Amino acid sequence: MIMNESIQITGLGVVSAAGLDLAAALLSFEQGVRNAGPVSLFPTVMHYPVFEVKHLPPEYRLEGWRTLSLACIAVDQALKEAELGDVSGLRVGVCLGTTVASQLNDLEFYRSYRKGKTESMAAVDRFLKGNLSEYIARRIGARGPQLTVVNACSSGTDAIGVALSWVKSGLCDIAIAGGSDELNHVPYCGFASLGIANQELCAPFDRDRKGLNLGEGAGVLIIEKRSSALLRGKASDLFLAGYGSSNDAYHLTAPSPEGVGLRASFITAMREAGIEPQQVGFVNTHGTGTHDNDLVEGKVMADLFGPGLKMLSTKGYTGHTLAAAGGLEAVYTAAGLRAGWIPASAGFRTRDEAIPMAPVQEKTLIKASYAISTSMAFGGNNAALVIGREAGL
Amino acid sequence: MENNKDQELAKIRKDLKEMLVRDLSLEDINPADIKDDEVLFGEGLGLDSLDAVEIVVLLQRNFGMEVKNMDQGKEVFYSIDTIANFIYENRKKA
Amino acid sequence: MKIAGIGLVFAQGLGMGALETALNRGWVPPQEVEAPHIPGGKTPAYLVNLEALPDRSVLKKIRRSDKLSKMSVLAAADALRDCGIADITKRKLGLIVATAFGPHVTTFGFLDDILDHGDAAVSPTTFSNSVHNAAASYVCNSLGINGPTLTITQFRFSFQAALQLAQTWIDQGRCDYVLAGVVDQYGDVLGYVADHKLTTAKDGKIKPFTFKPTCQIPGEGAAFFLLGRENRGNIYCGIDAVHTGQAPDRGKPEDLTIIDADGMLPDETMYRGCLSPDVPAAAYAPLFGSMMIGSAFNTAAGALMIKKQLLFATPVADNPAGIRLLVENGPASVASILCAGYNCYSERSEILLTKV
Repeated sequence: MIMNESIQITGLGVVSAAGLDLAAALLSFEQGVRNAGPVSLFPTVMHYPVFEVKHLPPEYRLEGWRTLSLACIAVDQALKEAELGDVSGLRVGVCLGTTVASQLNDLEFYRSYRKGKTESMAAVDRFLKGNLSEYIARRIGARGPQLTVVNACSSGTDAIGVALSWVKSGLCDIAIAGGSDELNHVPYCGFASLGIANQELCAPFDRDRKGLNLGEGAGVLIIEKRSSALLRGKASDLFLAGYGSSNDAYHLTAPSPEGVGLRASFITAMREAGIEPQQVGFVNTHGTGTHDNDLVEGKVMADLFGPGLKMLSTKGYTGHTLAAAGGLEAVYTAAGLRAGWIPASAGFRTRDEAIPMAPVQEKTLIKASYAISTSMAFGGNNAALVIGREAGL
Repeated sequence: MENNKDQELAKIRKDLKEMLVRDLSLEDINPADIKDDEVLFGEGLGLDSLDAVEIVVLLQRNFGMEVKNMDQGKEVFYSIDTIANFIYENRKKA
Repeated sequence: MKIAGIGLVFAQGLGMGALETALNRGWVPPQEVEAPHIPGGKTPAYLVNLEALPDRSVLKKIRRSDKLSKMSVLAAADALRDCGIADITKRKLGLIVATAFGPHVTTFGFLDDILDHGDAAVSPTTFSNSVHNAAASYVCNSLGINGPTLTITQFRFSFQAALQLAQTWIDQGRCDYVLAGVVDQYGDVLGYVADHKLTTAKDGKIKPFTFKPTCQIPGEGAAFFLLGRENRGNIYCGIDAVHTGQAPDRGKPEDLTIIDADGMLPDETMYRGCLSPDVPAAAYAPLFGSMMIGSAFNTAAGALMIKKQLLFATPVADNPAGIRLLVENGPASVASILCAGYNCYSERSEILLTKV
């Protein structure tokens, strides 16, 4: 069933350690490849493995602007699939999430500032010109609304939700939405200090999970009104059906033990999509591999969907890419619906008796019209997206 | 010997209380009012999971102590007494 | 949608009462702030003194928060108090926090940690507070807001983007009410950057109508607006149009144009493009300081004037271009006010306030 004016997904773009594009990522998923290793992007005395994007195409290398570089890669892929060349005559909005690009956290600049001799303002200029959505909008000539979401780890999902609101309300006809984050020294230290960085590879939902691995990447959807797509002679089998967002109002860093906000987000997103839990083919979870996150998420999903729900975390292939995660995972969720399969949830081996369900342990066929991608964040933010696929297109 | 130990522990407890009030921003709490055996987390003083990881860093910076993981942390961080004993025992080893 | 409550904290105090006092009083000199990296070691600034505020009880619950979060919680709580709707948090209430620079002071504190103590001995509390949405989290936890919660950043148009989104959330039924606000904080590093890249006003006066050359004085604060469709609460005015990037033709002139000019661009001559000899103009940045999010404070002033049917003179009236300025305080019939802003790319935003 399609809502009267469905919001189609006409382009997907994604870059992560799992692959420089969607096809490469799907190959990694199929083969169970986990491209993690030691940090190479900055010097550190710590030894937590990370998922870095290797072999960034030279034409995308912007000095000191890695988050923007990654975003450009994903945006270009998505525009290409959407067959959007010149967007100047169209009403295009840009809504992207980030954590790293929103802060002036250049250690070299700050080191020289502390010494009282800031010779170069280059880092400041990069920061002031590097608002993610503004930068992308100016790069492609988009003239619609712009907004950069800085909702920590749910930013990507929330950005797509904002874009859905924009397109539905008519603020724009087309929106570029998702998230981007580079692996950066500052959050690397921060997550280690919180005691949730893993010395080994992450194992989402596993009994013996010991925390997350950080990663980097960008994931972007092009969404547009069906009428706008048709006008361009474009048709897509994928559509963005619903978004839900809710705050736990519980704690700065810990999720509500009952998953109050996550549950509300699932329910709101499904209500907007007009679907029941049994229509959901699978859930691509936040699944970071930390003790609390996976426990809360597993409990809420088992309760809402039953323990037989097919679910996975793709973070075993990408690491936790912070604000990009919601973008990457929306793309991988859409791709799963389209391809008709989801990969084994990497890293999972032993069921946790405290969690009433387990992720899929092998490549699993999916025959469904709907799937959900979720994010949970610092600050108690929770967000869920319902993505749909029309069979027969 | 015993007397020395008692004195040293008392000093550690006093330093610990001042450190917690100052560095965990426990406004309105007087360090001297924290009881040695008061439960620090949950009920008692009402500290939470973020305080727990902060204490790991505070012990590292102020006392040179390494708490290896939060399983160990849960036992050590039960009360001022348990943290003080942990510091005393591990200092002796060093 | 309508503004059903406003809360704010700025250099001259907390709440709409403090804003009204400031508007009545006119320009006051800024404080002198220690600024070790700026030549002379001091800089003028309009800073919030949290210790001097009368009611700080709401801060008890957020012991480890930084100043950015404290200002946010104070202003957000003030907005809910101002609206007077008793069951407001039981309604579908969303939160949007817009900030140009976020918790940069805490972020630099965390960088200090890395530089001074090394990667493995940094404070997790400092890190958690350095995340952009920490302030929103404290607001939700303190006030019990469970709806959609978003922190956004769009430099000069952060507030406008928040209003635009609030409108869609309300129109689509995602929320009954949205608490949308702004917050930004002064800090040594950004103070230094501003002084280095811009001209700081030596005489303590931001002169919004000199256009070029401009001068700035850093400000800080938070301002939150309770927005909804219903005719409940402490209704100030309607917010009828929010546009960024393109300005529509509305046909009818407003009673006042408020411009966001505040010296944060070296050349602000583009503001002349939104001024007309038929409509008096004002700019209130000299009361609260130069801020990328300053339009929220100008909007609060505009909302107050419509509600009270009073006009407040522009506080610094240096006027080499002969613009028609609002120079007297007094009662007036105020049906609509336009708040206009420009970003560094000369793109314009407009917020139209209308009497309900």
